[in-house]
Amino acid sequence: MANRGGGRGRGRGQLTFNMEAVGIGKGDALPPPTLQPSPLFPPLEFRPVPLPSGEEGEYVLALKQELRGAMRQLPYFIRPAIPKKDVERYSDKYQTSGPIDSAIDWNPDWRRLPRELKIRVRKLQKERTTILLPKRPPKATEDKEETIQKLETLEKKEEEVTSEEEEEKEEEEEKEEEEEEEYDEEEHEEETDYIMSYFDNGEDFGGDSDDNMDEAIY
Amino acid sequence: MTQAEIKLCSLMLQEHFGEIVEKIGVHLIRTGSQPLRVIVHDTGTSLDQVKKALCVLIQHNLVIYQVHKRGVVEYEAHCSRVLRMLRYPRYIYTTKALYGDTGELIVEELLLNGKMTMSAVVKKVADRLTETVEDGKTMDYAEVSNTFMQLADTRFVQRCPMVHAPENSDTQPPPPAPNLVINEKDMYLVPKLSLIGKGKRRRSSDEDAAGEPAAKRPKHPTDNKEPIPDDGIYWQANLDRFHQHFRDQTIVSAVANRMDQTSSEIVRAMLRMSEVTTSSDAPFTQPLSSNEIFRSLPVGYNISKQVLDQYLTLLADDPLEFVGKSGDSGGGMYVINFCKALASLATATLESVIQERFGSRCARIFRLVLQKKHLEQKQVEDFAMIPAKEAKDMLYKMLSENFISLQEIPKTPDHAPSRTFYLYTVNVLSAARMLLHRCYKSVTNLIERRQFETKENKRLLEKSQRVEAIIASVQATGAEEAQLQEIEEMITAPERQQLETLKRNVNKLDASEIQVDETIFLLESYIESTMKRQ
Repeated sequence: MANRGGGRGRGRGQLTFNMEAVGIGKGDALPPPTLQPSPLFPPLEFRPVPLPSGEEGEYVLALKQELRGAMRQLPYFIRPAIPKKDVERYSDKYQTSGPIDSAIDWNPDWRRLPRELKIRVRKLQKERTTILLPKRPPKATEDKEETIQKLETLEKKEEEVTSEEEEEKEEEEEKEEEEEEEYDEEEHEEETDYIMSYFDNGEDFGGDSDDNMDEAIY
Repeated sequence: MTQAEIKLCSLMLQEHFGEIVEKIGVHLIRTGSQPLRVIVHDTGTSLDQVKKALCVLIQHNLVIYQVHKRGVVEYEAHCSRVLRMLRYPRYIYTTKALYGDTGELIVEELLLNGKMTMSAVVKKVADRLTETVEDGKTMDYAEVSNTFMQLADTRFVQRCPMVHAPENSDTQPPPPAPNLVINEKDMYLVPKLSLIGKGKRRRSSDEDAAGEPAAKRPKHPTDNKEPIPDDGIYWQANLDRFHQHFRDQTIVSAVANRMDQTSSEIVRAMLRMSEVTTSSDAPFTQPLSSNEIFRSLPVGYNISKQVLDQYLTLLADDPLEFVGKSGDSGGGMYVINFCKALASLATATLESVIQERFGSRCARIFRLVLQKKHLEQKQVEDFAMIPAKEAKDMLYKMLSENFISLQEIPKTPDHAPSRTFYLYTVNVLSAARMLLHRCYKSVTNLIERRQFETKENKRLLEKSQRVEAIIASVQATGAEEAQLQEIEEMITAPERQQLETLKRNVNKLDASEIQVDETIFLLESYIESTMKRQ
């Protein structure tokens, strides 16, 4: 602390250690101070030693490049899902763009993995575009799961065919109604457009008993 | 985990498994053990993607899981195991040199798939070999099985830990994650399989290719119903054993360089004898008597017992101390000193790096300081016979790069600088660590440069691939010279030159990676053996 003010005036540039001990003699020209970080690619004084060539080196090199290529083809290489473009394009139907759902392409041994990692295995979805049309007969015994699956296939094929979808949706509604065993008597009894309960066909009119007529009938 | 290591792991994962796996893997390496939900939340990827990535990583032995209290499963990544992926070509080449093409393909399949059952490996390898063999011949499963058993006997492949089914599994709910244990004795036990069959050749014509998958699809569910004889027994490549082999190879070649061929053969015989008796991280081999060594020398070597004794004495007296004498019974008991051997090899690497980077005079100073342990500035100049100014310059250059360090020895209790000795010294362990870190950085730079070069010329590469495909298809349907010529001219001459340059550069970068990996292996082994000793 005593040298705080004095250090600037007297004994400018004093170091804490004896310079001669480290080897810098008095009056030696020191290298210029560095004012910027060292260059990114300093010039090389000595060229590097050549790489080992020969049969072994070339074989290992070829092996490395082959391995790299092979790994990209294996199912372990997970490609990120291609983001949906702004407009649906016709060519999307014909381009395979990776797994549609999040299933795995290979079959790990699930017994060796923690249970929480198990992913629902994708079942082979067969093409159902033309098969669904003739399926009109009541399918009350159909499992709920199968409908859910069908609904999912429908979801996936949503973009492709819209008219078919509408037809299918109608069928779904019909089936659902049959399954729920609702029979809307009012709507379907005579297949008219009029709801029956609103119509009063006058059978009750005038059928009231005439006994105890104290009041006049108009 | 240093930043350089993490960056290198990230590049390795990205090249081999894609970006999603890379993101999850790097996150786990950076933050340590994490449960699934935390990973999903921190990385911002969807749950399904994280699950997929974790399955891949666990399959390849890069991530392990542990069940903690309250049923939470935590996942932990092994950074060092990810870095091993750099060394895969070297493992495969070693197996080829030892066990031929069959062994090479077995280890390649195991490395590419992480873990597989023996029957799956044998089938795949037989199919692959059948394709390379000429028409009409097929590869028998028995031959592949034999090679597999040889690999298991010499411990190059080992069994993965098996699922340990608890006895009272009916009363308790199943655990969230299976408990994997392996018995030491069972690790190399090959199950008794009777694999009978031959490799199938994959047909190259399109019709057959279309016919086969359609025929295979209905078969697929029936295949699953067949009981696989060794279901649940998975094998993986034993990387420690490979490392042991590399270490032995390096020691033998070092002895051959320093002395002569015969001494290297003796050392090789000693190492072979202690392969199975010594564990991979032991500092010494078991003591071997001179009589035993004499008996186990290769048959072609006709040296008399006396000459062998002379060689052994010479090896034991060598200042490098690869071989040490531990007793006199049985004609002299000799051990191979792995610690010292690795230390000498690491020091030689350091010296070589200094020589190539700073010049031979710097290397002379470095060796001097190594030998004398601590030297003052003045003494360095005197012993090295280099003028003061240059010696100073070189010392400071090495000091700034942390190859050499300063040791202060105070004369007085108050550590006054004018009354303190400053001695130059080399701390081999810390210099080796620093060099290892630089190696990781170099490999990262090499990979990045290679990716950059490939990306720059992507358009050209795609074009050349398309042209090759066109040529192949045109040739298959039979074409004349003129047509082929025309197609080849689609790639202009300057483009061809550009492709050539690209190929040369990429090859050079790849070869450099392999070379740096050898240095990494040496330094890592040295650091590991020194740390264990302490």
